[in-house]
Amino acid sequence: MSRFSHLLIAAAAASLLTAPSAYAQTKLTSEMAMAAVKAVQAYARNDGSDPSTAVVDTNGDVVLLLKGNNAAPHNVGLAERKAFTANTFKMKSIEWRDVSMPGKDRASERQMPKVIPLGGGVPIMVGSEVVGAVGVSGTRGGQEGDTAGAQAGADAAAQLAQRPVAQN
Amino acid sequence: MEKLVRSVALVALGAFAVGTGYGLVQQMVKISTLQSLNNNDISVEQALMVAQGAVDACKKDNSVISVAVVDRNGMTRFLVRGDGASPEMADNARRKAYTARTFRQNVSTWMERTAMDAKDDKGVRIDLNGQQYLENTITEPGGVPITRYADAIGGVGVTGAKGGPMADEACAQAGADAIADQLL
Repeated sequence: MSRFSHLLIAAAAASLLTAPSAYAQTKLTSEMAMAAVKAVQAYARNDGSDPSTAVVDTNGDVVLLLKGNNAAPHNVGLAERKAFTANTFKMKSIEWRDVSMPGKDRASERQMPKVIPLGGGVPIMVGSEVVGAVGVSGTRGGQEGDTAGAQAGADAAAQLAQRPVAQN
Repeated sequence: MEKLVRSVALVALGAFAVGTGYGLVQQMVKISTLQSLNNNDISVEQALMVAQGAVDACKKDNSVISVAVVDRNGMTRFLVRGDGASPEMADNARRKAYTARTFRQNVSTWMERTAMDAKDDKGVRIDLNGQQYLENTITEPGGVPITRYADAIGGVGVTGAKGGPMADEACAQAGADAIADQLL
């Protein structure tokens, strides 16, 4: 074997050794989800309403679902879709509703499965990173009220978040 | 001696009073914190009466309709496919009933509220169009909620009336009206 190929192998081995072993990301824990749903319930008590709540992680998978006592049949599914939407587009679902209005450049995004152009989904932000989302359906005050409730939940979840230390 | 008997009796009475009082308070706390939900829902008999009411109302122009009745949870309680109905019609009736139940209003009213250019009483645009993206809903009139004290406890949906979707909704309304006197 030539000296050159020895060098190449050594370089490859060195790069393997120094590369980070895993992609570091803040993970949404079930504790954070519980904190979120409690904050939403506290909002609902002030509000005098009985909403349904969903919390999804960065993959859009459900971490927590709570159906309100007198929820209409569509409420839980809608809460999940609102959370899914906020996580997917990394913005409040009410903001995405406005930027994806028919006739606008992003209107075709409404054809994606599972997203929904209705307010009530709010991303959980840890710093500038989205680690999941909260979706609420069934407060008083319509889409704005649902957004306020979800915001309370997202804030409570973010407060519990631990930033991971990247391990090399 | 008499004094002793009296004081023992007093202590016993006091203990009894405290004990029952404590038990009572415990029961009250239990009732106020662990009270289970007591929701109203339509019964099988009511579902049948609603369906019969809708079928009868649609008989006047010889329409053969498909009818669905859903309960409080939006689950199908009754479904009949009309004679000669095309394949999708029974499920469309179910979706009409579901839509009316979950949004607590006639499907035609809901369609107006969720239209692309819908406005509220003050002329301000209300963007509820996203509701039309929800699964199990349908944008065709013919569904009416079954309501008790402003609480939707079910829905009825009709397809196949000769007069079209608005005639479907009239038949569905007749079905809901058939049990209205039971829901007071």
